[in-house]
Amino acid sequence: MDMYNDLLLNIENLDVCYKISDGIVKAVKDVSFYLRKGEVLGLVGESGCGKTTLIKAILKLLPSNGYIANGEIYFKDREITKMDNEQLRRIRWNEISMITQSAMNALDPVYKVGDQIVEAILTHKAVSKKEAYSRAMELFNLVGLEKGRLNDFPHQFSGGMKQRAIIAMALALNPEIIIADEPTTALDVVVQAQILERINTLLAGYDGSMIMVTHDISVIAQTCHRIVVMYGGRVMEFGNAIEVLKEPNHPYSMGLKNAFPSITGEKRNLISIPGTPPNLLKPPKGCRFNERCPFALEKCFHEEPMLQGTKGGYVACHRFYEAEDLRAEAGKEETWMKIRKRRVMV
Amino acid sequence: MEDAKQSLNNLFKILTRNKAGFIGLIIFTVFLIIAIFASFIAPYDPMAMNFDDNGAIKRLQPPSSSHLLGTTWMGRDVFSQMIMGSRIAMVVGILSAICVVFIGTNIGLIAGYYGGKVDNVIMRLVDIIYGIPFLPFALILVAVLGPGIKNIILAIVLITWRNSSRVIRSQVLTLKNRTFIEAARLTGASDFRILYKHIAPNVLPLSLVYVALSMASAIMTEASLSFLGFGDPTLSSWGKILYSCYSSQAMFKAWWWMLPPGIAITLLVLSGFLMSKAFEEVANPKLRER
Amino acid sequence: MRSMKYILKRILQMILTLFILVTILFFLFRVVPGDPVSMYIDSGLDKESQELLLKQYGLDKPLLEQYIIYIKSMLRGDFGNSFQYGKPAITVIGERFWNTLVLMITSLAISLCIGVFGGALLAWKRGTKIDTVGTILVLAVRCAPVFWTGMLFLSIFAFKLKLLPLGGMNTPGTNFVSLYDKFFSADFLKHLILPALTASLYSAATPLLVMRSSMLEVVKEDFIELVRAKGVKEKKILYKHAMRNALLPVITVFAVQAGFAIGGSVLIETVFRWPGMGREIVLAVSARDYPLAQTAFFLIGTMTALFNLIADVLYAYLDPRVVIN
Repeated sequence: MDMYNDLLLNIENLDVCYKISDGIVKAVKDVSFYLRKGEVLGLVGESGCGKTTLIKAILKLLPSNGYIANGEIYFKDREITKMDNEQLRRIRWNEISMITQSAMNALDPVYKVGDQIVEAILTHKAVSKKEAYSRAMELFNLVGLEKGRLNDFPHQFSGGMKQRAIIAMALALNPEIIIADEPTTALDVVVQAQILERINTLLAGYDGSMIMVTHDISVIAQTCHRIVVMYGGRVMEFGNAIEVLKEPNHPYSMGLKNAFPSITGEKRNLISIPGTPPNLLKPPKGCRFNERCPFALEKCFHEEPMLQGTKGGYVACHRFYEAEDLRAEAGKEETWMKIRKRRVMV
Repeated sequence: MEDAKQSLNNLFKILTRNKAGFIGLIIFTVFLIIAIFASFIAPYDPMAMNFDDNGAIKRLQPPSSSHLLGTTWMGRDVFSQMIMGSRIAMVVGILSAICVVFIGTNIGLIAGYYGGKVDNVIMRLVDIIYGIPFLPFALILVAVLGPGIKNIILAIVLITWRNSSRVIRSQVLTLKNRTFIEAARLTGASDFRILYKHIAPNVLPLSLVYVALSMASAIMTEASLSFLGFGDPTLSSWGKILYSCYSSQAMFKAWWWMLPPGIAITLLVLSGFLMSKAFEEVANPKLRER
Repeated sequence: MRSMKYILKRILQMILTLFILVTILFFLFRVVPGDPVSMYIDSGLDKESQELLLKQYGLDKPLLEQYIIYIKSMLRGDFGNSFQYGKPAITVIGERFWNTLVLMITSLAISLCIGVFGGALLAWKRGTKIDTVGTILVLAVRCAPVFWTGMLFLSIFAFKLKLLPLGGMNTPGTNFVSLYDKFFSADFLKHLILPALTASLYSAATPLLVMRSSMLEVVKEDFIELVRAKGVKEKKILYKHAMRNALLPVITVFAVQAGFAIGGSVLIETVFRWPGMGREIVLAVSARDYPLAQTAFFLIGTMTALFNLIADVLYAYLDPRVVIN
């Protein structure tokens, strides 16, 4: 089938844990989704929902106390979870590169920016230093930095320039997948817009795939084909980006949509979801979103919802069949105020 | 900021909470008790030569029931010398540490708080004192002023206040612009009151780090000067035991003479170092995770 | 060119420090109780020669004038005559200076290597037995009196095992044609091993502990993760990125440590009877040969300042963030 031929990344039932002094944190639990060739996949959720852990797991870049407890990650037909260090090393950056969250500290302060790009190229390609350097110049041109700046040290760059340099570095080897982990969070608003703009134009000329991690649903709307909505370490909803944004099936997706300005430009009040994400050291029984869900039933506190197929993906909600009614309810502010009251009572 | 005050009240707690600090405290306490009761514990006069029944000097006798750590070349009891030596180490260590940190903290407070010219002058002075080779200077000072425990302490204090003052100063620099200091200033508190009522309690944990460190370094300096032959001639300090041992040419034969003073100095210096680590974690909570 | 300016500025600063050192020394010897003259002029000389020297050094003049004369003669390189040797003090110390310098450079270089690689190793093996045992061992070395460690080494390696000489710088009776000959002969190197080892172990402890904690900080940094994401080999990450960055605070403490080590040469040289400035200063002070002691003190101060200068320049070279001006 065609569907399997262009499958680039396939994650199945992935569990990622951290061992800390108080116990084991299940930061990612039973996560499955896939990425197709040429697609841009958005990964959304509040901070602390396991997005960063998930993408670190893809390249096995977890900190020493983190480990993949269960599940498989396939890159094309190769299983990343079973690779040894050397095999992994060859895949990193060459086939999957990343634009990190905090560009501020992502470059080694004691080496010139240009040399760090050259290092990435020479690690994987048998080219001369000169060739690598001219590639770096080309890349700087692409991201709108003067090539003379290759000789600067990271501390001579502004935040936005560093982020551009990292984008340039991520593109250096023409990887099949670029993972962008909240590439704009550390920057101020004006620069954020510039960087997003830059990423969008680059994507036009780039035929690989991308995973875009963000907590900003409007970013997804602009750039992504497919979306994964995560909450408390689990996938709540996975599907076609436009469809999920237009007609979310999970109450959490509905809440997220409320919390950001409308993508279609219609005027309405922004409603935030009251409450805080669950403690992953002791995750709640049943659905992880239950405490903050205005539509939670008795069942949601006992039984973990099964994945149910939607148009182009799946959703994990007991009340999926009533999604249409819930969507109408979710648009009202009172609906969400109810949880606040409920929380006060408990 | 109340937090800092509270933890100071629980100085003992700081040391017992932390494994390194606890070990340090135990070693220190043991030596302190020995020092206090030294004259009861020591079986012989440390400076007296001991003779056997035939009237001959008991030279270099290995450890026995009558001489727990044997005797020296001159027939002196090593155990008694060790016990009395703990007293000197304690006196030098504690007195110097208190003087050093008292001076260092005050100078650091003044330099940091007043800033400008005052700060500039003081810090250049600190730079210069950092350029003075410590041990040679102490050596000359003690030789010129005459040997004696007072002059040894003086030499230590004259030089080592530099360490604490520099660190305290930078701490004060970060503190003085905090809102609670601003608030105190707005209510019309005098400089003196701000310095000693509001800022000083917050640098105290850091001062304690230097109390422990200065104690260790003072003990080491006294031992070094005594080893070089510039110790107090009337006292038997650990450094002096090593000096006699080294210069008697008997050190290779009499391990019981050479090992105990070295081990005692190492342990006591270690205790200061370990306690300083415990205080450092209070002064700089970022370190706590390590 | 900016770095040239920086080095020049540091040299000026160094000269100022030395100048003040000399001033302290001058007043120290004159403000002390007792007859200052006896500290400068050998009381063993006859009256006439004493008077002559008194005039020559200007010791009959007021303090301020004496100070000026003192500084002037120092600038000419005249530090007075050593009582014991009857030669200019600078001549006596000049020779010792090189002996100390060779011992110090050797031991500081070794201690930097031990500190950097040992600290990196302990950090890399964090939480394992190697880390625990290593840290305890380092602490013990850090807290043991260096002269006592020297005595232990002498007893073990020289006396018991008879592997190495018992002290001194070369076997008595050997003559060398040149300095090169002297410092590169097998005999000299044999004598160098124990004092250099003792001094370097002692000086390595603090940089090692700093390197360890600095490494533990650096490996948590984002840029290390990015380098790993780039697929750079682990060994290369360790050497080229983690250690290179962790090195910076080590250089700073190493400068202080170097000053300490040079001062500590009085102990090492005494234990191993190494004919350097440190041992000479002890002997001179004991013999009340003050011109010699002063000269040695001045040169030890100079050496300390030089090592500090080197450390500062090295730091500025290693950390591009240091703005040199």
